Amino acid sequence: MNAQTVDARGLEPPEPFERAMEAIMALQPGHAFTLLLDRMPHPLLRVLDRDGYMHDERFREDGCVEILISRP
Amino acid sequence: MSSANPGLAYEDTPPLSAPLRFFLTAPLFGIAAGVLLLADGELLVSRWTPGALSAVHLFAAGFMLQVMLGALLQILPVVAGAGFPAPLRIATITHALVGSGAASLAYGLGAGSPNAIIAGGVLLAAGLLTFLAASLVALARAAPAQGASRTPRDLRLALGALGLTTLFGIMLALVLGRGLALPFALPTLVDLHAIWAWLGWGGLLLAATSWVVVPMFQITPAYPARFTQLWAPVTLAVLTLWSVSLLAGVELAVSVLGSVLIALSAAFALQTLKLQRSTRRSTPDAPFRAFRMSMIALVGSVIALLLALLHDAPQWPVLAGVLVLHGTFAGAISAMLYKIVPFLTWLHLTQARVRAPNMKKLLPDVLIRRQILVHGAALGALVLAVFVPVLTPLAGLLVVIEFGWLLLNLLHAVREWHRAAHA
Repeated sequence: MNAQTVDARGLEPPEPFERAMEAIMALQPGHAFTLLLDRMPHPLLRVLDRDGYMHDERFREDGCVEILISRP
Repeated sequence: MSSANPGLAYEDTPPLSAPLRFFLTAPLFGIAAGVLLLADGELLVSRWTPGALSAVHLFAAGFMLQVMLGALLQILPVVAGAGFPAPLRIATITHALVGSGAASLAYGLGAGSPNAIIAGGVLLAAGLLTFLAASLVALARAAPAQGASRTPRDLRLALGALGLTTLFGIMLALVLGRGLALPFALPTLVDLHAIWAWLGWGGLLLAATSWVVVPMFQITPAYPARFTQLWAPVTLAVLTLWSVSLLAGVELAVSVLGSVLIALSAAFALQTLKLQRSTRRSTPDAPFRAFRMSMIALVGSVIALLLALLHDAPQWPVLAGVLVLHGTFAGAISAMLYKIVPFLTWLHLTQARVRAPNMKKLLPDVLIRRQILVHGAALGALVLAVFVPVLTPLAGLLVVIEFGWLLLNLLHAVREWHRAAHA
């Protein structure tokens, strides 16, 4: 699995959304990337569930959210 | 699993028309409040004049409530993961009931019509109870909150305070419209209704959304964790104790706890201003300036409330009301609308797989800046009119222009959305 990191913290909306979408749309089967955000993106997680992406999110010590998004 | 990337659909996002209807009708209530000020030069002489009661409700139950409900329809799914059941239907019912209720109540209070007051109270209560019930369902279905954000918890607290505000409001409508006998003085119930509306509902909602929106859109550091952990629960606890003391007639406790509530309001404003000073923005945009002006007005209202505690002059409560309603809430709400509406139009274009224009093109900063200048001028005129009543019509004219312009700016974003969607 090829894991890259997309850091979308500290950006004004909609830039974090745009960066996440670009990375998700470019994701190839069997690949994954880590998304860093300032807050939990509830709507994005629902979309990932519905569209069959895997995701594993956790809050880091510094308060930001780290999400590993993979495409089976 | 398909080998091609699946399309990303967003059915969970409420339709754009759900929040938008609230945002576009809200300024009409602000315009109506301005017309009242324009027509009645004595309106700001006391908080008890029929005109003042009418204008306050056009502002609070009209403008503010419309935007707050529309924003909650959008915010609850996003920050709390709490999607409304049938959001479009809830929006249609709530919008119709709350809008017509606010108009009827404001008319009844201004014209002294008991039937209109009762009708307004019933319509408002029906709309708000519908909204609260839908919110409860949405929150019950949401996954448990994780992480350090206190926004989901504080939104729940604010909704609870809205329920209590509604209860006090219905009691007031029954007193004024049907002569309901109270076991305590009428001003006590008015004070309970007003402070639960302003601080319990409005203040907590403003704070809960600020925990997210200020760092997100104003590119500031996050609020200190301890501050967000404590502010809303402490405020609500003190507010409850203050209310009990007021009903029990314990004057010393009312004064002490009232001072604590004033200090808590000041702490929120000063903390927000401190964060804004640490923004990573090189140049503050117009909504940033509007939000800063709103927090400065909140500090001003705190000073006016302290003066009201020390002096009996009728101007201090009116000044505090002007600074809270117009200065703080109208300013903060306008600032948030200028971020929310372009973002939503952008989001819905993106979801429709339309190449969305840059957000700054959907609503250019220059248009916002001019309207915010008028907002500042209107606030200044309102403050002066509290002490020089002859200026009230001028203040009213500026309020009409301010809210008319706000509406035009929001319509600009909607037109750009429509144009891009049909290009």
